Amino acid sequence: MTERKTGAGFSRRTFLTTSLAAGVSAAALAAGTGRAMAAADLSGREMVFASWGGSYQAAQEAAYCNPFMEKSGAVVIQDGPMSGSKLRTMVEGGQPIWDVVDVTDTFLFANEELFEDLDFGIVDASALDQAYVHQKGIGCIVWSYNIAFNTDVVGKNTPQSWADVFDVEKFPGKRALRDRAYPMMEIALMADGVAPEDLYPLDIERAYRKLDTIKDHVIWYKSNSAAQQLFVDGEVGVGVLLNGRTFDVNKKGAPVDLTWNQNIRSIDYLVIPKGAPNAEVAQHFMNATVDADNQALMANTLAYAPVNPAAFDKVEADVVPWLATTPENAEKGFLIDAAYWRDNLGPLTERWNEWKLS
Amino acid sequence: MTAGNRTLWLLIPAVLLIGVCFLYPVSWLLQRSVSEPVWGLQNYITIFSKSIYLGVLWNTIAIAGATTILCALIGFPVAYSMVHARPWIRKLLIFVVLIPFWTSILVRSFAWLVILQRGGIINDILVGIGMIAEPLDIVYNRFGVLLGMVQVLLPFMVFPLYSVMARIDGSFFRAATNLGATPIRAFFRVYLPLCLPGLGTGAMLVFIIALGYFITPALLGGRGDTMIAQLIFERIDEFGDWPLASALAIVLLIGTGLLFAIIKGVSKLRRGRI
Amino acid sequence: MFYSAKFWGGLRGIINVMLVVYMLAPLVIIFVISFSSALYLTFPPPGLSLQWYEKMFSNPTWTRTLVTSLKIMVPAAIAATVLGTAAALALSRMESKWALAVRAVLMAPLVVPVIITAAAIFGVFRIWGLYGSLWGLILAHVILTLPYVLSTVSANLAVFDKRLEDAAANCGAPPWIAFRRVTLPLISPSVMSGMLFAMVISFDELVVSLFLSTPRVRPVTVQMWSNIKGDTDPTIAAIATVLFLFSLLALLADGIARRRSGREPGL
Repeated sequence: MTERKTGAGFSRRTFLTTSLAAGVSAAALAAGTGRAMAAADLSGREMVFASWGGSYQAAQEAAYCNPFMEKSGAVVIQDGPMSGSKLRTMVEGGQPIWDVVDVTDTFLFANEELFEDLDFGIVDASALDQAYVHQKGIGCIVWSYNIAFNTDVVGKNTPQSWADVFDVEKFPGKRALRDRAYPMMEIALMADGVAPEDLYPLDIERAYRKLDTIKDHVIWYKSNSAAQQLFVDGEVGVGVLLNGRTFDVNKKGAPVDLTWNQNIRSIDYLVIPKGAPNAEVAQHFMNATVDADNQALMANTLAYAPVNPAAFDKVEADVVPWLATTPENAEKGFLIDAAYWRDNLGPLTERWNEWKLS
Repeated sequence: MTAGNRTLWLLIPAVLLIGVCFLYPVSWLLQRSVSEPVWGLQNYITIFSKSIYLGVLWNTIAIAGATTILCALIGFPVAYSMVHARPWIRKLLIFVVLIPFWTSILVRSFAWLVILQRGGIINDILVGIGMIAEPLDIVYNRFGVLLGMVQVLLPFMVFPLYSVMARIDGSFFRAATNLGATPIRAFFRVYLPLCLPGLGTGAMLVFIIALGYFITPALLGGRGDTMIAQLIFERIDEFGDWPLASALAIVLLIGTGLLFAIIKGVSKLRRGRI
Repeated sequence: MFYSAKFWGGLRGIINVMLVVYMLAPLVIIFVISFSSALYLTFPPPGLSLQWYEKMFSNPTWTRTLVTSLKIMVPAAIAATVLGTAAALALSRMESKWALAVRAVLMAPLVVPVIITAAAIFGVFRIWGLYGSLWGLILAHVILTLPYVLSTVSANLAVFDKRLEDAAANCGAPPWIAFRRVTLPLISPSVMSGMLFAMVISFDELVVSLFLSTPRVRPVTVQMWSNIKGDTDPTIAAIATVLFLFSLLALLADGIARRRSGREPGL
């Protein structure tokens, strides 16, 4: 299934529907080769896994959930898309329905009080680069925001910088941008000529002044799978898209590509919301996600870089150029300042919502 | 009254259920809107003073209004055509107009999405036959919302109009023109006034129902088409902001109730006159 | 030519055709696409296949949510029918201002915008621990569908000749027998159509379910909603068709029930 996906020339919505079939075969693969996990018997138990939807969640289902279900007997129910405010609402309301959630590093750092401590008696994090291990969560992937484009729409003159993405004369029509202050502030400032090293603290007024210039030329997307669709359909010529999502559609034959110029790198963490109804199952699930085979499977499916060093040896050669941690890619971009966002996420989000509706 | 007393107990389960699981929750909502964070009208003041919420209120009225006007413009000829059609065609038309009652809004909104999006059927065909070079933006904006909402709400306009038109004597045109009026004049001076009661009821119904719409604008609308129901959902689902969401809901409830009262009053007045 | 009957007849014809296209085209297109052999949403489809129906029945998410919808619909429709019919009977025998007021209260869920009902029920059910449970969804659906049963049965009772039941009582039949032998057979077509109405409304319901459901207890409409908002999976076309056919079948069953009863209820 995975091979067929790589070679076939079909495009458009195919990529969204084949992922499931891919998941099934990937599960079989993982079950055959995976190292024996701490085989707690959890049959009859359930937990809910919430993530960002589309091909990313399908890949997580294949790489983390299915092997875990196979080994433990527990049932993992998929939900999403993840929304920070929704997660906060359910934890503060005391009735979270999610047991394991995929969050960005900034969200984790800004909201540590919302999550359960990890039980390192169950979760074996010893093999990981400790930079990715947090008391409340485990880094699962390294990813990046990239300038992406549909080659059928833009032709040979592809965008080379965020300034290009904001240039409505060079690239007429709509552009797809993230409906969120983060990382639109960084993107707008870079488009206005600010160098990555001078970004923080962010000049918010300047960012909005720049955003005002293209407000009517944008399709704002909330979910990354919706964004994929926009690029594949040619609804937009240029915009911002995650490297893994671009890899996904590109691999499936869509005329969508990216540049590594000015990429914005970040890390996703898996966390357990405080008061999660199935926290114990969730701890065992966490342990399954750090497994090197599972992480390599994730990277090979969607080009998101693993955090378990042992997994890198198992990443396929043609996937390596798509990873955000590959040195020549990493040096063209920068790691987003999670600490800055931890301190400013609330007010900046409020400001964003107000600006958007005005 | 004796027979009534004997069967009164049959009412108890239904009344109990609606009371406990509907009336109480709605009053609970009302209470939250005025009691949090402290007792007072601060949530209502927020709604009517912040530009975000005023914008959404205005959107709601504008979209409901436009839907009503479009429903009237489309519904009028449709109802007329139904009245004057052969019986089997009339049956078919009634069935067709009633379809929205029988199919989910979700399904129909999804269908519009498939048809209207840039890679959708209409754009594929128009680009294919060379009528346009670039796909048109006909969904995720006001146009898409109105197209979807008019389709759903059309029956609420057509049937009141139909029942009024069916009672109008068809020979009025002849009578009017015999008296020397041009058909256009006859239409505006005689026919239209006779239809006004049906038009009024239909317009009110469409407008009221449109005010609380959620699914169609959420699926077919864009950034600037957020309606009050979407805002209520988002405030609760995303932010758990009960006080404000409750206040928004109560504003919607009062608006709806007022309009209903107006309809009732007008129809009573009319009955009294005739 | 402006005055000629031909012109007006032609114009009416055009209006009729446009109306039919506007109301039906979207559904027809969904129906056709659901049988498409293409791997993405395209029209006209290059060939026919049943792949999306297979997907629908093989994907655990869709089967689970479809089953949940049925688990909500059946008890909710039955309960709404029983409660609604009982209330209609009681109200038909009351002739006071109170009857009007009670009827208005019972019909309220139909008049109040659904979003308000949904938010209110969600808020209270969360406190009562009914959020995310099948029972909560069933209760909510009873409230939403009861008005339909009440109005359908009431309309029938309004034209029902109460002297028939009085005659039976005068002949010495106890009230329950008089009801079962006389009243029930006469109003059964409308009870049936009320129940069908309730089933369709419950099966299609989205807004209240959106608030009350969790990933573990989720009706198919909520699953469709989240899919439409995220990915455009063509499987949705197949599910939409099933939903539509379900409604159509209910409509047909309703028509047959009425025809066989030989009595057209006053609708």
